[in-house]
Amino acid sequence: MPLGLQVAWNPDAIGVENLHQFFVQSSESWAQRYVQNHAPFLEHLPAPLGEFAIMLVCCVIFVAVVPLLPLGLVLAERKVSAHIQDRVGPMRVGPHGILQTLADGVKLIFKEDHIPREGDKFLFVVSPYIIFACSFAVFAAIPFGRSILVSELNIGIFYIMAISSVIVMGVIMAGWASNSKWSLLGAMRSAAQIVSYEIPIGLGILTVVMLMQTLNMQEIVKGQDGIANWLIFRTPFTFIAFFVFFISSIAEVNRTPFDLPEAESELVAGFHTEYSGMRFALFFIAEYANMFAVSAIASTLFLGGWHGIVPAEMLPQSGILGFLLRAVTLGGLLGVVIKTLLLVFVMMWLRWTLPRLRVDQLMSLCWKYFIPISFFNILGVGIWGLIFPKDSLLSIIISIAVIILGLIFTFGVLGKSLSQGPEPPPSSAERRVSATT
Amino acid sequence: MRHYLSNIYLGVYTALVGMRITFKQLLQPSVTHQYPYDRSFEQKKNIREIPKGYRGKLHNRIEDCIGCKKCEMICPVDCITIATQKLPKGERLWDSMNVVHLKDRTEIVGNIEGAEKPAPNTAVTIQTRDNRTVAVASEEIANVVERKPVIFYLDQFDIDMSLCMYCGLCTEVCPTECLIMFDNLSDGIEYSTFDRTDLIYEFAKPEMYEQPTDESTEAEAAD
Amino acid sequence: MAAPQPESKFIELKPFSDEMIVSMGPQHPSTHGVLRLELKLDGEIVRDAIPHIGYLHRCFEKHSENLNYQQIIPFTDRMDYIAAMNMNWGFCLAVEELLATDEKKFSGVPERGEYLRVLIGELNRIGSHLLSFGTYGMDLGAFTPFLYAFRDREKILLLFEKICGARLTYNYIRVGGVSRDTPPGFIDEVKEFIDYFEPQIDKYNALLTANRIFIERTAKVAVMDTEMAINYGVTGPNLRGAGLQWDLRRDEPYSIYDRFDFDVPVGKDIPELGVVAGDCWNRYKVRMDEMKQSIQIIRQILESGLPNGPIQAEMKAVRPPKGEIFSRSEAPRGELGFYIVSDGTPKPVRLKAKSPCFTALSALQELSRGLMVADIIAIIGSIDIVMGEVDR
Repeated sequence: MPLGLQVAWNPDAIGVENLHQFFVQSSESWAQRYVQNHAPFLEHLPAPLGEFAIMLVCCVIFVAVVPLLPLGLVLAERKVSAHIQDRVGPMRVGPHGILQTLADGVKLIFKEDHIPREGDKFLFVVSPYIIFACSFAVFAAIPFGRSILVSELNIGIFYIMAISSVIVMGVIMAGWASNSKWSLLGAMRSAAQIVSYEIPIGLGILTVVMLMQTLNMQEIVKGQDGIANWLIFRTPFTFIAFFVFFISSIAEVNRTPFDLPEAESELVAGFHTEYSGMRFALFFIAEYANMFAVSAIASTLFLGGWHGIVPAEMLPQSGILGFLLRAVTLGGLLGVVIKTLLLVFVMMWLRWTLPRLRVDQLMSLCWKYFIPISFFNILGVGIWGLIFPKDSLLSIIISIAVIILGLIFTFGVLGKSLSQGPEPPPSSAERRVSATT
Repeated sequence: MRHYLSNIYLGVYTALVGMRITFKQLLQPSVTHQYPYDRSFEQKKNIREIPKGYRGKLHNRIEDCIGCKKCEMICPVDCITIATQKLPKGERLWDSMNVVHLKDRTEIVGNIEGAEKPAPNTAVTIQTRDNRTVAVASEEIANVVERKPVIFYLDQFDIDMSLCMYCGLCTEVCPTECLIMFDNLSDGIEYSTFDRTDLIYEFAKPEMYEQPTDESTEAEAAD
Repeated sequence: MAAPQPESKFIELKPFSDEMIVSMGPQHPSTHGVLRLELKLDGEIVRDAIPHIGYLHRCFEKHSENLNYQQIIPFTDRMDYIAAMNMNWGFCLAVEELLATDEKKFSGVPERGEYLRVLIGELNRIGSHLLSFGTYGMDLGAFTPFLYAFRDREKILLLFEKICGARLTYNYIRVGGVSRDTPPGFIDEVKEFIDYFEPQIDKYNALLTANRIFIERTAKVAVMDTEMAINYGVTGPNLRGAGLQWDLRRDEPYSIYDRFDFDVPVGKDIPELGVVAGDCWNRYKVRMDEMKQSIQIIRQILESGLPNGPIQAEMKAVRPPKGEIFSRSEAPRGELGFYIVSDGTPKPVRLKAKSPCFTALSALQELSRGLMVADIIAIIGSIDIVMGEVDR
């Protein structure tokens, strides 16, 4: 009997209870705890209803706040790029142009919504919403504080990976439905790119999971109390893994130097060439929301999340003073946001500095460099775990010493000899031959 | 293996070098001018000013035009249209004015009192068009355009600025230098219109022949 | 390599093939104007690329037959509008050579005029190469060098604005000299500019030229060896990038170029970087190096100082004697030739311009076959075409 029918026939056969336990931490959900601690009046409601009410409030807050992020980020990107390029950027709408994105949004709403005549209307209309929805669904599992989290999933990081790879569906649908060859090329590039870069991201996450022994985002953060416990410094291998993860994330959100799906000097605009008006705006918002999301994930996994530089017990837990102190030491809600925005800034900075890779180079970077390095990291983390079964002061000191010595050794000593002989790229004749076979 | 590590090293290192350059630039002030709103750059020296001799919109001081049609002939795109009537032989309306070019590329339009070829180490007084008297040392003068008799009625002197290609050849051949190109921002550059026919400039002034202006009487008197 | 084969003008698809025809341009962000490329694509791989030109055709040659020689000069501005000074200069050189066949009519350009021509021509060469550098970076996805290049080019345009009154279509170099003398303080400003600009080149090299991604994108891409370049008649930085040291300024010096000391940069095999002579990287690098050489020439002019004297030869009208002439000069994009037939009237009977960009573009089809779409962009940028000159 097929599995689906089996479940329909007899749900207990494969243990729905067990499934529920696996997906949602059933022992004591964070919402229940929150109700008990902070909002006792909700206890008058039946427990599931109270839980539902608090989740609803959280959802409303996220749905209201998260779309505002791209507004700020677009402006920030324009300002950063402008100042990097010796310009001043938008200056007209509002003081220093702070309302420029809003004005652009209003303009885009009023623009004609054009659908290509020969295109697939349904897919064309649906794909922006898929991308939009997926990039916002990711925020559900990112913890922004001890209790600021929409859903404390047992498999949080797994859920994030699953949801964010649905985006590629939307991209392919958009490219195919546009009935434009440029869009199709962009979509195909995007599919290949996102699918490939899922692997180094997954392997990077695996190093974290191996160390923390959990998929729960909240638990991962809880294990990183104080800068010495941040996963990036925990072992030398997670230090490398952070950079692999971060660069792969840049590829995942299609930004320079990996912005091939929308390479404006090659494919005009890639998969959203034919989109206009609000649908285009949805792509745009989704792109920036995505950028924020991957930075938030990186800061959660490797940079301590809402745990700051100073261990939490050394700071006052409540009151405005505690909030500010936590923010200053890069902890708490503000701390996560600051760390995330720093990573976002690095992404922007990279974008306005580097040229774009070619498609085959993008693939070889992933398959020949990132994936082997990631495997090396996993191996290293495993061995590290055997040597230091429990994190101690000694292991952390050794790790930080290895990182610093490694950096000095690479850039100071090895640098000169390494800068001499890079691998020669294949000649056009060789590439022609390989292309024809 | 060495190639492999070298590739990684160079990729990271050169990216860091580039990032250092762009970050340095991020901290420096920008060079942009908010042009149509912020016009203070016109006064600031050495940043952005419209230089003397910029080739902007064409203008004709019609009183000085002698109707020689040289500009019409040299124009590569035929944007100048001139129609003239000749006066009876021996008659003239008035004389055009001197144009005194100074060495710092400024021009003074007016009548030189006395000799047109100033002697060295003397002060030259010029009665300008707007009735000012300007005294210039003769060393500062680069050259002087001589006065020419006006022996044509100008019925039409039209310049279609929508056709003009700003080569400046017409201003170079003009013998009295009455045809000029404005070299300032407000007259020479900012003259866009919503209607293309507004760009056809008609310079001919028939009323100028009916009632001689003060300048022309002066010109005749000085003659 | 064999001589270039005649290529078919149209692309045909086999039935049921996986290939598709894509029209790249005339409205495309990186075809440098209005070039249209008909691409036969197999996925990302370009099976064939046929350039279609003529979107900017303005009948320059036919039009010139109805204009006299002074009136043609503003139209030469519109050929290669990035390096309009050098276009003026090329045309004036041809007319002057034709005039010089009759010694009564023309006695040569005055010294100061020649020096001004070299000064302005080399400044314009820097401006042109700057634009090429900036747009090449942008084609490959790096936007920032573009803005930096335009910022510095703006300073050159300001200098031009001061000396000739226009920013793009200069009409400055005339038959027998130049149209205007330097305004006061001009020489100091040129010196200020080159003092500012020389370190900038090293900065740009660090930012883009040495960048590993940039090298990966351009090294060994579309290698045009010396033989192929000569067969196609490619000149200028593209030929020098292929490794042949040929520069008209040094090998057939016109004007007063024989008085200056400068190198002719050529493309080289650099195994450390993995580049070979004649690839996109070398074509690009030759331009970066030429900017330094132009600065060196300008420095020599400034050190010796401009001679005093007239800027324009005394002559009544430009009326060349009966005869014909072909004259060439080294424009930033290659050898610019003008063929003029005169019957003794002020208007030419026939005028033909040999455009360096057109010949460079003709090699595109062979260079691009079997590469990828992204490489096509890299090739177009590296051969540095200006459609105004290709179409004329």
